[in-house]
Amino acid sequence: MNETVVQLRDTVATRGYGKALAALLRAGDLVVLSGALGAGKTTLTQGIGAGLGIRGQVASPTFIIARVHPSTTGGPSLVHVDAYRLGSLDELEALDLDASLDESVTVVEWGEGLVEGLAEDRLEIAIERPHGAGRASDLAGPVELAHDGSAGQPDDDGSSGTRTVTVRGVGPRWAAIVLPVVG
Amino acid sequence: MADLHAPGTLVLGIETSCDETGVAVVRVGPDATELLFDAVASSMDEHARFGGIIPEIASRAHLEAMVPTVQHALAGAGVGLTDLGAIAVTAGPGLVGPLTVGSAAAKALAVALDVPLYGVNHVIGHAAVDELVHGPFPERLMALVVSGGHSSLLLVDDIVTGVTELGSTLDDAAGEAFDKVGRLLGLPYPGGPHIDRFAREGDPTAIRFPRGLTAAKDQAEHAYDFSFSGLKTAVARWVEARQDAGEEIPLADVAASFAAAVADVLTAKTIAACRRNGIDTLVIGGGFSANSQLRDLAAARCAEAGIELRIPPIRFCTDNGAMIAAVGAAAVRRGLPPSALDLPVDSSMPLESVLV
Repeated sequence: MNETVVQLRDTVATRGYGKALAALLRAGDLVVLSGALGAGKTTLTQGIGAGLGIRGQVASPTFIIARVHPSTTGGPSLVHVDAYRLGSLDELEALDLDASLDESVTVVEWGEGLVEGLAEDRLEIAIERPHGAGRASDLAGPVELAHDGSAGQPDDDGSSGTRTVTVRGVGPRWAAIVLPVVG
Repeated sequence: MADLHAPGTLVLGIETSCDETGVAVVRVGPDATELLFDAVASSMDEHARFGGIIPEIASRAHLEAMVPTVQHALAGAGVGLTDLGAIAVTAGPGLVGPLTVGSAAAKALAVALDVPLYGVNHVIGHAAVDELVHGPFPERLMALVVSGGHSSLLLVDDIVTGVTELGSTLDDAAGEAFDKVGRLLGLPYPGGPHIDRFAREGDPTAIRFPRGLTAAKDQAEHAYDFSFSGLKTAVARWVEARQDAGEEIPLADVAASFAAAVADVLTAKTIAACRRNGIDTLVIGGGFSANSQLRDLAAARCAEAGIELRIPPIRFCTDNGAMIAAVGAAAVRRGLPPSALDLPVDSSMPLESVLV
């Protein structure tokens, strides 16, 4: 089993690691992301998107289930899937995407237990965030923003804390690939 | 082909971007558009059983509901198919399958009746529908469209030809954050209305949850963008910490404090955008505008800033056909060329393209 574990200290590092992964990804690859609410799955996908050089803001695709980002460099498109609201997913093709998965890099959030059967070769990425409260969220008191829409003081955005990321390459495609150890 | 500029042109609007099949008939007047009837069929009950939208189920539900909903809308408006002068349909953004069902129906009607077809942006419809309720828009306005799929701030010089996207969410939409927090609090899907209900009984200042993208360093690049992902994470971690300590979760206070954070950021950034652009009218649309904290805070802050606040009644904030007919009617009144009969649907249609 080809596996590596990395520690990513903030969202910048998470995006950087996504970029490093993107350098390994090619058309037809499937990436399955797992992790609790707020682990950083979309953040990692933003990094993958930046590395692939795709068009559009990589945001949560929960509402439309899947968003297709075409490449700006002639490379593979990014198909960003959120299986969060899906009870079952027999075939990714059933999503009726405007893109061929053979010609795209497909990243599925919340896909564990749903999509493994789709591809013999896949990258399984588990992101673990710190458990329990961050520092700023325990402060009480009046909280309204100033008239210019800004906070009077620097604000913890709730995403702080080191992420432990376990990357597992499954199948012959990934057997001999050296997985990145830092972003 | 019908004379588009004849007074009284009837426009049929068809909306199928998600789980509601909406069909409405409006009459284009010289100044204002009049809503004749609005019919909606929802597959929400079927999705609730699965804890979320299943695209395949939504597509089939639209297919089954389409003809009866069109008939319902026409009967309600007291008109026949051949009275229609134009068809407007949601071209995006939304779920590809449902969008395809709606656009196929619209194309068939346009061809059969030999009337123009307009492919319309769903998100713009959420703002445009307010013209049917509260009358014609002023020359310039700000629109905040907030729903399960969208959180966008739009500067509107013209609802069809002059929409500028000032900002949008970089991660989760406002309604989506509510649904996700609802799930982590163990509330049924969709979580939004449940959190709203608990929040009314809680203390919004009990817990200081973060306000995304409001720090000084974010003002240059993201003054009008939103981020609710960090907030969602903060709520998850706060709840975990209490659970780990074996404490009871104060549901009402968590819900109220979370909802306060969302309403605070949405209204503060929107009012700031109005002030900086010299705008004195704000329209809030989309399903999340049903949220009571957002409504209350927006009303208070608009009053303080001298901004007229327009929020359509809730039935016009959730997805409906009237919002699509409203954009179609605005296009007809401006004499804009119709869309091609082979117009594509676009699941991630950019907001600055109002028509395809």
